[in-house]
Amino acid sequence: MIKTIDLSKEFGNNSVLKNITTTIQPGEVVAVIGPSGSGKSTFLRCLNLLEQPSSGEIWFHDNEVANSNANKTEIRKNIGMVFQHFHLFPHMTVLENVTYAPVKVKKLKKDEAEQIAKELLAKVGLTDKESSYPNRLSGGQKQRVAIARALAMDPEAMLFDEPTSALDPEMVKEVLDVMKDLAQTGMTMVVVTHEMNFAKEVADRIMFLDEGRLMEEDKPQTFFNQPKTTRAKEFLDKVL
Amino acid sequence: MNLDFSQIVPSIPFILEGIGATLKFVSVSILFGLVLGTILALCKITNKKILKWPADIYTSIFRGTPLILQLMLIHYAIPQLTGYDIAIFLSAVLAFGLNSAAYVSEIIRAGILAVDQGQVEAAEALGVPYPAMMLSIILPQALKNILPALMNEFITLTKESALVSTIGYMDLMRRAEIVGAQLYRNFEPLLIAGIIYWIMIFILTNIGSFVERRMRQSD
Repeated sequence: MIKTIDLSKEFGNNSVLKNITTTIQPGEVVAVIGPSGSGKSTFLRCLNLLEQPSSGEIWFHDNEVANSNANKTEIRKNIGMVFQHFHLFPHMTVLENVTYAPVKVKKLKKDEAEQIAKELLAKVGLTDKESSYPNRLSGGQKQRVAIARALAMDPEAMLFDEPTSALDPEMVKEVLDVMKDLAQTGMTMVVVTHEMNFAKEVADRIMFLDEGRLMEEDKPQTFFNQPKTTRAKEFLDKVL
Repeated sequence: MNLDFSQIVPSIPFILEGIGATLKFVSVSILFGLVLGTILALCKITNKKILKWPADIYTSIFRGTPLILQLMLIHYAIPQLTGYDIAIFLSAVLAFGLNSAAYVSEIIRAGILAVDQGQVEAAEALGVPYPAMMLSIILPQALKNILPALMNEFITLTKESALVSTIGYMDLMRRAEIVGAQLYRNFEPLLIAGIIYWIMIFILTNIGSFVERRMRQSD
C-alpha cells in the first residue's frame, strides 16, 4: 500500500534518513523501533509528507507522491496521524475536534460527521467527554481523542508517532488497548514506539532503524529472539 | 478659579453629537485596520518574498512616520495630486485604518508565531487546506493570546482619533474646541469631552474583558 524506495532525508548537512526501502502491506502493523535520533519519526513523517524527503520515492497505491506535485491533501486524507503530544485543537470541544476535518475536508454534513464522531468516541471509551475541552482531559484521554479524530477521516492507514511517550505510566495501557483493538480491525498501522511489549505482541513486522539506516526488518519473534546485527543486539540489551 | 458650567449647558447637545461622529469613524477604522492588518500578517509569515517584502515595507512606512502627517498627506495631498476632492470622513478612515493596520499586523504576526507548530502539523495531517487552517485553527488561538494587545491598539486609536479635528472632522474634540472658541471658555467643554472619551474607553475596555473571558472558556 505504501512503498518507499531509497528514501533519504537531510536537514542541512545532517543526514537523518539514509536510503530506506520498504513496503507496507494493507492490513499490516509495522512497529518502527530504534535508539533516539535514529530517524524513526522522520521516516514516519515522510510517509504523509509532513517532511519532504530529500531524495527517493514514496508510492501510495500506484502513485508516486514524493516527487510529483501530487495533491498532498489527497494523501493526508487517506493516512491518519497520531502525534506524541496529541495536538488536539484546544479551542474546540472533543466532538468539534473529531468532526472538524470530516466536515471541512471531506465535506460531510454536520450531523453525519457527528454521528460518526460519536461512534468513534464510544469506541475509544470517551462518550461522556464529547462536550469537554481538551484541557479538561488527562493525557490518555487526549490521545484517545486524537486517535478518534484521525479515524474520523476514515483513513486507509494510520501513523503513530510515539503515541504513549508523553503519557503518565498509568495511562499508557488505555491508549495501547485502543491501538490493539484498531489493529484487530485490520487497519494498516505504522507505529514508532518504545513499547517493546506492544511491538512484540501486536506488530506483524519490526523495522529497526539506527543512525538513519534500516538495519533490520523482521517478524517480531525473530527480531526479538535472534537479532542479526550487533546494533540491534545492543539496543535490545538496553531496553529489555 | 472661575468655573461656570451654566454657560455651556446649551452647547452640551452639540458636543454630545460628536460621540456618534467619533464612534462611526473609529469603528470603521478599527475594522479596516483589523482586516488589512490580518492580511499583512499572513503575508509576513509566508516564505514568499514577493508577499513578505511589501508587507514589511508597508509596516516600516506607516509605523515610521507620524499619524498626523499621514492624515494631512491623505487629506490635502491627494486632492493636489489627483484633483479628487477627498471627503473628510474618507481621509480620516484611510489614515487611521492604514496606520492601525501596520500595528495590528505586527500584533497578529506575533500571535500566529506563538501558536504551537504542532497545531499546523495536526491540521496538515488531516488534510485541512491552508486557508481553512488559518481561519478556524490558527487565528482563533492567536486571537485569544493577543486580545489584550489588540485592545490596547483599539484604545489608542480611539483616543488618537481626536487628531481628525485638525482636518475639520466634526468629532468630539472638534466640537469641544468650537464651543470653547465661541464662549471664550475652554476648560468646561474640554473637561466634558475628556470625560466622554474616558467613558468610551471604559466601555471599550469592558467589552474587551468580556470577550477575553468568553474566549478563555476552553481553559
